[in-house]
Amino acid sequence: MTEAPAPEPVPATARELRSRTLRRHRGRVTLGVILLSLHQVCEALVPVAIGLTIDLAVSTGDVTALLWCVGGLALLFAVLASAYRFGARFTLDALEREAHLLRLESARRILHPRGERSGLRSGEVLAVATSDAEQAATYVRAWAVGIAQATGIVVTTVVLLTINIPLGLGVLLGVPLMLLLLRVPAARITRRTEAKQATAARATAMATDLVGGLRVLMGIGARHNAALRYREVSDRALTASVGAAATNGLYKGLVTATGALFLACVAGTAGWMALRGHLTVGELVIVVGLAQFLAEPVQVLGMVGQMFAIARASAQRLVRLLNAPDAVTPGNRTLPDAPHAVELRGVSHRTLDGVDLTVAPGELVGVLTTDPRDAESLVEVLAGRAEGAGGTTRIGGVPVSELDLTSLRATVLVEEHDSVLFEGTLRSNLVTTDGRHRDDTALLAALAAAAAQDLVTGHPRGLDRPVTDHAANLSGGQRQRVALARALVADPPVLVLHDPTTAVDAVTEEVIARGTAELRAGRAPLGATLVIAGSPALLARADRVVVLREGRVHALGTHAQLAEDDPHYREAVLR
Amino acid sequence: MSTEPTTEAGPGETEPATGTGPREHQGPDSGPELLPTATAKRTGAVLADGVRAAPRATALAVATVLAGSAAGLVAPWVLGSMVDDISAGAGPDAILRSAVLIAAAALVGGILVGLGAWQVSRVGETILARLRERVMERVLHMPAARLERVRIGDLLSRVGDDVAVVTTAIARNGPEVVTALAVVVLTTGGMTALDWRLGLAGLAAVPFYVWAVRWYMPRSGPYYARERIAMGERSHALMGALRGRGTVRAYRLEEEHEQRIADRSRTAMQLTLDVFRLFTRLGARMNGSEFVGLGAVLVVGFWLVRGDLATVGMVTAAALYFHRLFGPLGFLVMNFNDVQQAGASLARLAGVVDLPTARDPGAEEGPAGSSLRVEGVSHTYAPGAPKALDRVDLRVAPGERVALVGASGAGKTTLAAVVSGLRTPTSGTVYLGGTPLDELGEQRVREHVFLVSQETHVFAGTLLDDLRLARAGATAAEAEEALDAVDALDWVRALPEGTATVVGEGGHALTAEQAQHLALARLVLADPDLAVLDEATAEAGSSGARRLERAAVAATKGRTTLVVAHRLTQAQTADRVVVMDQGRIVEEGTHERLVADGGRYARLWRSWQG
Repeated sequence: MTEAPAPEPVPATARELRSRTLRRHRGRVTLGVILLSLHQVCEALVPVAIGLTIDLAVSTGDVTALLWCVGGLALLFAVLASAYRFGARFTLDALEREAHLLRLESARRILHPRGERSGLRSGEVLAVATSDAEQAATYVRAWAVGIAQATGIVVTTVVLLTINIPLGLGVLLGVPLMLLLLRVPAARITRRTEAKQATAARATAMATDLVGGLRVLMGIGARHNAALRYREVSDRALTASVGAAATNGLYKGLVTATGALFLACVAGTAGWMALRGHLTVGELVIVVGLAQFLAEPVQVLGMVGQMFAIARASAQRLVRLLNAPDAVTPGNRTLPDAPHAVELRGVSHRTLDGVDLTVAPGELVGVLTTDPRDAESLVEVLAGRAEGAGGTTRIGGVPVSELDLTSLRATVLVEEHDSVLFEGTLRSNLVTTDGRHRDDTALLAALAAAAAQDLVTGHPRGLDRPVTDHAANLSGGQRQRVALARALVADPPVLVLHDPTTAVDAVTEEVIARGTAELRAGRAPLGATLVIAGSPALLARADRVVVLREGRVHALGTHAQLAEDDPHYREAVLR
Repeated sequence: MSTEPTTEAGPGETEPATGTGPREHQGPDSGPELLPTATAKRTGAVLADGVRAAPRATALAVATVLAGSAAGLVAPWVLGSMVDDISAGAGPDAILRSAVLIAAAALVGGILVGLGAWQVSRVGETILARLRERVMERVLHMPAARLERVRIGDLLSRVGDDVAVVTTAIARNGPEVVTALAVVVLTTGGMTALDWRLGLAGLAAVPFYVWAVRWYMPRSGPYYARERIAMGERSHALMGALRGRGTVRAYRLEEEHEQRIADRSRTAMQLTLDVFRLFTRLGARMNGSEFVGLGAVLVVGFWLVRGDLATVGMVTAAALYFHRLFGPLGFLVMNFNDVQQAGASLARLAGVVDLPTARDPGAEEGPAGSSLRVEGVSHTYAPGAPKALDRVDLRVAPGERVALVGASGAGKTTLAAVVSGLRTPTSGTVYLGGTPLDELGEQRVREHVFLVSQETHVFAGTLLDDLRLARAGATAAEAEEALDAVDALDWVRALPEGTATVVGEGGHALTAEQAQHLALARLVLADPDLAVLDEATAEAGSSGARRLERAAVAATKGRTTLVVAHRLTQAQTADRVVVMDQGRIVEEGTHERLVADGGRYARLWRSWQG
């Protein structure tokens, strides 16, 4: 229901993000806070109700009083139950909706065609959209729970002070003091537990690692050795676990003993006061009951601080991503729908140093780089990602930096070496934005050109065969061929292929080189094709080959000429 | 949550990597089989085995927890008698006595509770450790034939997720659950000891608790399952798009992927909210049960006091007892789900433990010699599928090096797997040193045949540890010798800590070429009679591939070797070349002769040379 992009500006700080969170779910958060507070008050009143019942009914034997007490108790539990039921719901509703919105917002930012320069590493960027979006939303819970527990503490305080001021003050100071003291060993426990979790995680990691390589283990006859190795790690994990359990047991014993000792003090003092007539028996029960109850909200309040800290750290990463500057600043010119040439004039970018290169419409040009970084740099230039590159790169006569991003991407398709397939079917992977109107014949033609038609013929569901996430159900070679077919289906005016055949054998490579060249040559209007590769099969099909060495154009010519004349070329290409 | 593809399908070529074959050829109906899950009874028996291994420790743990919980009963009891003392107008020494009694019980209780928690964890963790070791043992020694049929993801989730779920459950909840159970039992006992009618009143709450749980479980179970699936799908959509953001941008698929993420995120969110709604209703039912119990204790206490059958102090103690039960009872109900989940994971682990072990003939002696003979071998991956191998006959003399050449799907990789004994052919026999492979038994075959497959895996740990998988007792010097033999010592020495460098997952990342070098060094260390090489070299680039080819030749020098030639230079250096097409051998001879004959191989060779 709240799908529309946030109408307000992107929050600039974690604090702004949090206030936006509360603002856009204010109704739910308010109701949640009120109801959860009410629930805490009711919880605090349970020992009070027990004490009152003992005082008013049990010790007097008055049936009317008993009826009133039981009725009151019923009412108390009814309010307590409903307050929790709806308060927790409203809070979680707000939290989940916020997490959903933050997830989409960060995913949208990450996928944005202009890219981002947040300075976050690739893994961190993924973590922002997954765990940080969820963690930042827990701010809602920390807020609601914090207020509710504080309310519970306030009500307890008031009741205790009403009964007896010195006793109330004693309990109020004693409980936090006791919890504070127990914090000291708690830090140690955390460390030991973390160490234990780390060794357990290592054992699990080794198990999955060994099973992941099980076929290799089998092939090299190393399964027995692997089992021995796992046993060793598992044993170490056991030792660490038992060690941590000892610390934990110590702590648990300490908590139990301290709590009961504190109770002994309260009970002794309150009993003495009751004996002196300062308290009724029921009030004694109330004081003891509340002293026991108070430990919980104080403890939870301590954890709320931690919850806030976690939410804040996540919010900070989110804000950093959302406000990250764009990686590219595109222009706004568009290209007409005509054949386009690619022209590089004196282009310098990263390792490239004054490169001239042209691809005319209808032409297939091969590029051989001896340094893989030259290939990467060239790919960045052609994809319009080379912000601040020297020289000019023109597509259809227009400098790349002046082109509108949609227009640039509709004209130039760079099929990168690490391009991925998505979960879905073979067909859903082949049909992209530019392939919407292509029929099955076109898809099959592209698959044939990429030597991948066996994926269709060899499977009962043909084009609709399922493809799992990251195409894990296809082999490396199959993935690469499908990705190539997808680029051919898109059929862009300018196609750039980077190492499209590294995972296929020589025979198949030959088929692909022929199929791709023929399909591109048959494009109308004429298309330009650039293949950056080291494969002689592909280079042999190119109209011209450009050799880049140390960032410069080192040689130009056909594959045959270069193979004949240039020893460097022979060394790099021939096998 | 990780969405890494579960198998590292090697940087291979177009044929499915060894082992991923069946997936390619099977229809949708003949999916891979799931590993068994044990019945509740069998799971219990597996656990009981663990307990039986340490009967005294288990008994001690249970006794300590019970004693600790009993110490916890003292305080409310004493408070009750204090109420009576005050009503009777006793002196301050009675109050002091009560306070000291509570304090003493606190100290004893603290010690017992601490010891109990430690003992329970120790017993639980030990049982778990032995169980996970047994599981790994079974998984690692799974017969090749079964391994081909099971899903690797299923295996990974058993040794990974299931073990983790049970570990967490035991570490976090194990002692708590045992303690809570003990408190519930003993407190009810304490109430009954005060007065059996008070105990009975407290028990009135039990049916309500049971009813609340029985109402909740069948409703929530399917929801939780659906929620987990929906979260998995959300994570797939999210991670898939984000990891492939370069591709998403290149093909202008942003909107499509955003929409998919939004849809799946909304579905998962709705399920989370629905399941929580159910949970809050459980909470309300539990509050109702608490009211019933507390109310009953107070009302019954009221009548008992009126009838002089009990004192006010006893009723006070009973009410405090029952109030004390809110926590542990709530904990048990709220964590019922975790306990159930741990039970489900345990059943899946027990299922693996119960896998039948392979009947291994385990021939007394190894093969006589290292000759290889393939006789009339045919293979189909599924009934009705085209033949991957069609009546293949092949002989490789001891020390001879034979290269298999052919297009994708010609059957090279399948033949390599059959020869390695990793795949049992539909018909025909493979002889090693004159003995059929199935007579040798899997164990023996693995000792004598070494396969370097397309699947590369660098095992996490030090590089030396990785090599020692091939020969456990290998010294550092022997390992370096092996590395030197395949010309890998230079780059290994250049690593931050040489052979002690941590490599693999989470360690120093090796290139595809280095990983292959490592695989070849393992071959040198293992020193098998027959080497089958089906490695992929293309990813290493042409100069890297040439280095790897030289390394492979060095590693297999003087050894009977079958090479799947992904590059024709590998065929050029072989003693003999075998050309395959559609599962059949179509040409055979030396490189020179086949080139001179001008057949299929000669055509391939010309195109290869570019």
